[in-house]
Amino acid sequence: MKYMLMIYDNPDTRELFFSEAGGPLMAEMDALMAELRESGELMGGEALADPSHTRTVRVRDWAPVVTDGPLAEAKEHFGGYVLVDCESIDRATEIAARWPSARFAPMEVRPFMDGGGADV
Amino acid sequence: MTPPRDVEHLLRELAPQVLGTLVRRHGRFDACEDAVQEALLTAAVRWPAEGAPENPRGWLLSVASRRLIDELRREQARRRREETAARLDPPEQLLVPAPDGERPPERDDTLTLLFLCCHPVLTPASQVALALRAVGGLTTAQIAHAFLVPEATMAQRISRAKQMIRTSGVPFEMPPEPEVGARLRVVLHVLYLVFNEGYTATSGPHLLRTELAEEAIRLARTVHRLLPADREVAGLLALMLLTHARRSARTAADGSLVPLAEQDRGLWDRDAIREGVDLVTGALSRGALGAYQLQAAIAAVHGEAATGEDTDWPQILGLYHLLERVSPGPVITLNRAVALAMVRGPEAGLELLAATDGDGRLSAHHYLEAVRARLLEMSGDAAAARAAYRLAARRTTSLPERRYLESRAARLAPAADGPAT
Repeated sequence: MKYMLMIYDNPDTRELFFSEAGGPLMAEMDALMAELRESGELMGGEALADPSHTRTVRVRDWAPVVTDGPLAEAKEHFGGYVLVDCESIDRATEIAARWPSARFAPMEVRPFMDGGGADV
Repeated sequence: MTPPRDVEHLLRELAPQVLGTLVRRHGRFDACEDAVQEALLTAAVRWPAEGAPENPRGWLLSVASRRLIDELRREQARRRREETAARLDPPEQLLVPAPDGERPPERDDTLTLLFLCCHPVLTPASQVALALRAVGGLTTAQIAHAFLVPEATMAQRISRAKQMIRTSGVPFEMPPEPEVGARLRVVLHVLYLVFNEGYTATSGPHLLRTELAEEAIRLARTVHRLLPADREVAGLLALMLLTHARRSARTAADGSLVPLAEQDRGLWDRDAIREGVDLVTGALSRGALGAYQLQAAIAAVHGEAATGEDTDWPQILGLYHLLERVSPGPVITLNRAVALAMVRGPEAGLELLAATDGDGRLSAHHYLEAVRARLLEMSGDAAAARAAYRLAARRTTSLPERRYLESRAARLAPAADGPAT
């Protein structure tokens, strides 16, 4: 089963992870990525740049309306993701719980939509 | 690049034979498997251009042997450099055998290989990947495409599986007699997983996925040829054939799912149904029943019904009773509820569902709500059926199932909501 582990962060966690104090946390993250690569569960993942780079696009009367900045004033922002293909949602949850940022801001674990369908 | 189908089929047929011979000669399953894979890739490029050699098996064996020996020599040299103190024996045993005079082996190692790839030290995902590569002769790229994961992920899964086999010292031989039954169940489960992965893939760009179903049937046929007396092997092969027979009818042109009762039975593969029915009839007549045989028997009853209305539901209900006894599980109970509703009316089925409501394994499962919706629809309670279809639609993670369930809900919409059909 394939899952996206959605990493949320806030201005404090961004600052922490990218500061000198964040070194051990980053190392922990790299080690976990390496472990998942080695186990054959890791499909990919990316970190997103600071939310201040966000553009929000809406289409009104068939014309795009573009604003700078994320969707709304939220405390937490979607900051990056990890894709895993693993045994069960419990295993995916276990991985999310070990993600270092989960100690500071929430992680979401969501299954992929499956293109196949059983007999109905 | 994909070689022509006849070359590919020949290579896949020969892959386990060549690998078996090589492992018997040199041991080291992991290194042999790499060497065979390289030989297969070379052949896939050369044979279509130059024509297949006269003795394709001998050709593959000699190319794979040469690769293996090169690799083992490199390994030895590395080790020698690392441990200068240790004097290793010269590699006399590492001689390339003459390519001529290779005869097919007296024994077929395919089964031994399959048992090795499906060893319980491996996770199911690794068992599936390794079996498809080492026994099925598929490339890592093909397996990765079929399972919709990056090639690097699949390569790592396979290499880790081989490493596990190496470090756990699993010998290249059939499991001891008392363990054969349990180990065979794992092999059959792996083939069943491969089949389902392919069968449930709906039409579309994922051709390789649908080919998995055919590959599973091919491997199940091989196991059945090698173990003709095993009833569950026959049962599994029958189940695959009878299910696969409906593949052209189970989806509409737009990829949407068509329920069994509404399928165009003219599209069913009659030859596959006949073969499946014969297999399961033969297996059932020989005593003790297994889960695959019973599921095949149920598929056979559907396969033999000329129309949905002609389905012998009392017989299906009886078979689900037996199946529930042999291998109890919530999904089987739900299927029995449907059969019960077809025999004794929707209320009887709904009562059975009410009795499973406390079953934690099912509470969040979309299938419970999908069955409830179907039975409520049968009973004429459109509003409750619609609510249940909607709940089931939200709970499934399958895109075609979601579309199907939403369409059933929409059909039951009150006139104000939209056109009822």
